[in-house]
Amino acid sequence: MTQKGWSVALKRMMRYRALFLMVLPGLAYLVINNYLPMVGVVIAFKNIDYSHKGLFGLIYYSDWIGLQNFKYLFQTNDAFVITRNTLLYNGGFILINTAVAITLAILLNEVRNKLASRFYQSLVLLPYLISMVIVGYLVLSLLNVENGFVNKHVLPFFGMHPLEWYSESKYWPYILTIVNLWKNIGYFCIIFLASIIGIDHEYYEAATIDGASKWQQIKQITIPLIAPTITVMTLLAIGRIFYSDFGLFYQVPLNSGPLQPTTDVIDTYVYRGLMTLGDIGMSSAAGVYQSIVGFILVIFSNYIVRRRNRDQALF
Amino acid sequence: MQKRFQTSMLALSIILVLSLLLSACGGSSNKDNAASGSNAAASNNAAGSANSGNEKTLELKVAFLGIGTFKDVADVQDAISKITKEKLNATVKLVPIDPAAWQQQINLQLAGNEPLDLLVTSSAFNYSTQAAKNQLVVLDDLLEKYGQGIKDTMPEAIFNGTKINGKIYGVPSVRDTAADYGFIARKDLLDKYSIDLSTVKSYADLEPILKTIKDSEPGVSPIVQRSSTLGIATEMITSQFDVLGDSLGVLNLNNNDTKVVNLFDTQEYKDSLALTRKWYQAGYIMKDAATTQEGNNALIKAGKGFGYFSNMKPGFEAQESGIDGHEMAAVRLTKPVSGSASANIFMISIPRNTQDENRAMQLMNLMYTNADIVNLLDNGVEGKHYVAGANGQIRSVGADSGWVFNQWEVGNNALAKVWEGTAPDVWEQMKKFNESSIVSPALGFSFDSSAVKTEIAAATNVINQYRAGLDSGSIDPAMVADFNDKLKAAGLDKIIAEKQKQLDAFIAAGAGK
Amino acid sequence: MKTNQMNQSVVHILLILLSAACLFPFLLLVAASFTDEASIVKDGYNLIPPQFSMAAYTYLWDQAAAMTHAYGITIMITVVGTFSGLLISSLLAYPLSRRDMPLGGIIAFIVFFTLLFNGGLVPSYLVYTELFHMKNILLALIVPGLLTNGFYIMLIRSFFMTSIPVPIIESAYIDGAGEFKIFYRIVLSLSLPILATIGLMLAISYWNDWFNGLIYITEPKLYSIQNLLNRMLSNIQFLQQNNLGGKASEATATLPMNSVRMAMAVIGILPIICIYPFFQRYFVKGLTIGAVKG
Repeated sequence: MTQKGWSVALKRMMRYRALFLMVLPGLAYLVINNYLPMVGVVIAFKNIDYSHKGLFGLIYYSDWIGLQNFKYLFQTNDAFVITRNTLLYNGGFILINTAVAITLAILLNEVRNKLASRFYQSLVLLPYLISMVIVGYLVLSLLNVENGFVNKHVLPFFGMHPLEWYSESKYWPYILTIVNLWKNIGYFCIIFLASIIGIDHEYYEAATIDGASKWQQIKQITIPLIAPTITVMTLLAIGRIFYSDFGLFYQVPLNSGPLQPTTDVIDTYVYRGLMTLGDIGMSSAAGVYQSIVGFILVIFSNYIVRRRNRDQALF
Repeated sequence: MQKRFQTSMLALSIILVLSLLLSACGGSSNKDNAASGSNAAASNNAAGSANSGNEKTLELKVAFLGIGTFKDVADVQDAISKITKEKLNATVKLVPIDPAAWQQQINLQLAGNEPLDLLVTSSAFNYSTQAAKNQLVVLDDLLEKYGQGIKDTMPEAIFNGTKINGKIYGVPSVRDTAADYGFIARKDLLDKYSIDLSTVKSYADLEPILKTIKDSEPGVSPIVQRSSTLGIATEMITSQFDVLGDSLGVLNLNNNDTKVVNLFDTQEYKDSLALTRKWYQAGYIMKDAATTQEGNNALIKAGKGFGYFSNMKPGFEAQESGIDGHEMAAVRLTKPVSGSASANIFMISIPRNTQDENRAMQLMNLMYTNADIVNLLDNGVEGKHYVAGANGQIRSVGADSGWVFNQWEVGNNALAKVWEGTAPDVWEQMKKFNESSIVSPALGFSFDSSAVKTEIAAATNVINQYRAGLDSGSIDPAMVADFNDKLKAAGLDKIIAEKQKQLDAFIAAGAGK
Repeated sequence: MKTNQMNQSVVHILLILLSAACLFPFLLLVAASFTDEASIVKDGYNLIPPQFSMAAYTYLWDQAAAMTHAYGITIMITVVGTFSGLLISSLLAYPLSRRDMPLGGIIAFIVFFTLLFNGGLVPSYLVYTELFHMKNILLALIVPGLLTNGFYIMLIRSFFMTSIPVPIIESAYIDGAGEFKIFYRIVLSLSLPILATIGLMLAISYWNDWFNGLIYITEPKLYSIQNLLNRMLSNIQFLQQNNLGGKASEATATLPMNSVRMAMAVIGILPIICIYPFFQRYFVKGLTIGAVKG
């Protein structure tokens, strides 16, 4: 190599040194915040003894008990119900939230008056900001048996009898889906909207010249161009499909027993079961189970995505 | 791609190993600390005689259940510290912890090394598991040495009623350890319809009264529930059972034996369900009793309820009248009962995280023997949270006090000044009341659930599914069969067998005596 | 702009309906906070308070000192957390967006992996409190949420990859600019849209966070506004649903009323609603996610 080549190489190294320096705080943070606690995964396989304190003490001095801590998750018929509920709800949420959020984002993008657009955006984001416990109160104010808005005003208007919402499990798949959609639509909408706004206007102008209808433009331009966003969002949601929004499934149905067949999910089951026990081994076991299933599902769906379109896969 | 994935995995494992090493370093240094800490404690012990070894000034941390108002916690803490500084060379830090966060917060603190010197414990919050898992200090020797004053403040059965495997891990507060049960209702409505509660001898006798209210007071629910877990059907039979901690396997006190049975399969429970259902269908119970978010007191205050079932004690009517905003009258339908949890539902313990177990015990001793400290804790600072009233009693300063403490949690409350409106001799009455109670053979028994925790986790979910609905009358009592089937499937029999085994051992050891 | 647009009135009608659906419960919340307590217990919530009352706000006004303090804490953690979170995320995302970055793929996978696995609450708590003594200090409200998750890093990285032309960086480099200068002068200034979006998300999550407060803070002086609200609400619910030997009902009597809970919720939401429109100005250019290769 020439003198000059060496100095370029050296310069490049200096250049990458700067880049590594940039990465450092973030990586250090992830190691502390995410990777260090991952050591604690072994707690799920141990019978925790507190004689030795500290993370290391807990882990090192406790006895291995194999899969004992996982047993309660699979022991009764409830195991099937909670797994089914978790999967169906979260699966449904992925489909419905994505579809509605995209529709809403496209609509918002069509608004010519920018002030009005901002106004609508603020309003749809509103529910995302309300605490789930408060949402629980609000739903109760609508569905309360004695003086709820629906029983007092809506149902009589249609000539129907009041319903006992909190003891009939069959309504709750719809109620929870609507509440979830209502609460999160603003958040998803922002992500998709930001993506849609980024599409180059020339595409639409060219399509208009070619005489494409609005519907054709959405189908041929908007959707394909935001497809990467949709894929990533969906894959990430699949990775968390075994985790549920605890507030939604616990606070909103008010922990009502008769609703359990359709509202109980893994998180609520674990919370209730361990509330009196306070056993960290068993709660870790639930977490490990959820992570592993999510991980497998992501790898699997990523594989499918990759076969169809390499560029859109996560890895 | 494959290769890249492998490299990534390798990088990941390196990070994980690094993490392990890092946590090991941190952990072991902590372990050293803990070891040196206990050495220090040991040398303190070696130093011997009472109250020596207090040379180093400490801040003793006391964690308790934060129900009430603690805006002025700093004032109360400073006033207490003034006393303890002089006596123990230690100041006190009061740490109220929210009930909803309690389990998690205490679990986390006890897993770590944070200093914590006194802790409110309860059989409702895993007391026996905490003891079994070495989270609490054994108190017997410490009580002998520094806690001489404590034992005399309560009946022996209660004092010993917290033992686990023959060792004391917690000291009960002085309070109403027994309870009688009955119905309490708005006096104005009772007078309006000239109802005489003293003619009521059993729960079933209430029926005509409930009917009168239902028929003539629209918008007023004759019975309201205290909470979604304190259902009507259960309230009516509570005095007949000792729930042995969690209702999964109970003693039937009517049978006078020590056989653990399934509460939900007893005739008493089924009869109570039938009566509750009848009342529910007649409209005596609110339609949404099982899910209501309003407490009984709020409902009565708002004029939406007539009365409720409750456990009672001397001075109960006065207490409730204050809370409900209406004058209340009560009828007691059972004798006072002391159950297994009478002693251990509220105790104070020394966690392993204590900085100095000797001084923690000395502070605990003050909570049972020093009237000034008890009074500060219970009632706050004189002039700020109360003023002196007539007959040595105290009077409230106004609506919004910055210190409202639930005195049943800790200490010898009999030493505290009594509020006006309460009988001056309320604590004398309380003592007699406690002593006159029917005592469960399981008094002092606490169940260690660690052997059957898988089953408990499953059964707790089943209970949640059925119980509130059944107990409030909103589900058909026929469902109790389903309920029991599911409990069995969840492993109730195994829980009962384990409980029986522990109870037999407890009784054989003659514990509690 | 010569694209054919949807019929504006149809669009507006649809959006007005949707917005109304989102607004309605919020109005209910506001109305409840102005309703007399007894009438809430008796008749439930109404859009027009049957008995108007300012009692809830008077109650909160009496606690003005504690409330403003909690507001101060919330604003402080939101501002500090959002800015440091943005800084660390974009610093990490930029080298990952560079196709010539050595080990880039591996680092990206390390970031991505945190999305799928976590060690759980107890280990995290022990790491923070034992190794870093993060208990009852403000940092405990800021640090655990800094990167929230690897997702935002991936979003920022994709934006850098798609929206910052490589030739600009190259020429700046040839002009003798160092990496930090390029990052600061060129990359960040070209990335306002993504920074505004992620900043908003971070700000919302800091503003709404109550969980870190719940586990790392026991000192009332350090409660944030959401923490105050959440403690109140969950205590009420806990006491309603758990049997503390019959003592719970005595305890609930000292808890705040319905209308107060609603008033606190309103107070907690208002500021972020007011701030939101200012963030929106930056949504002029979008973000594309995708091509997030590990």
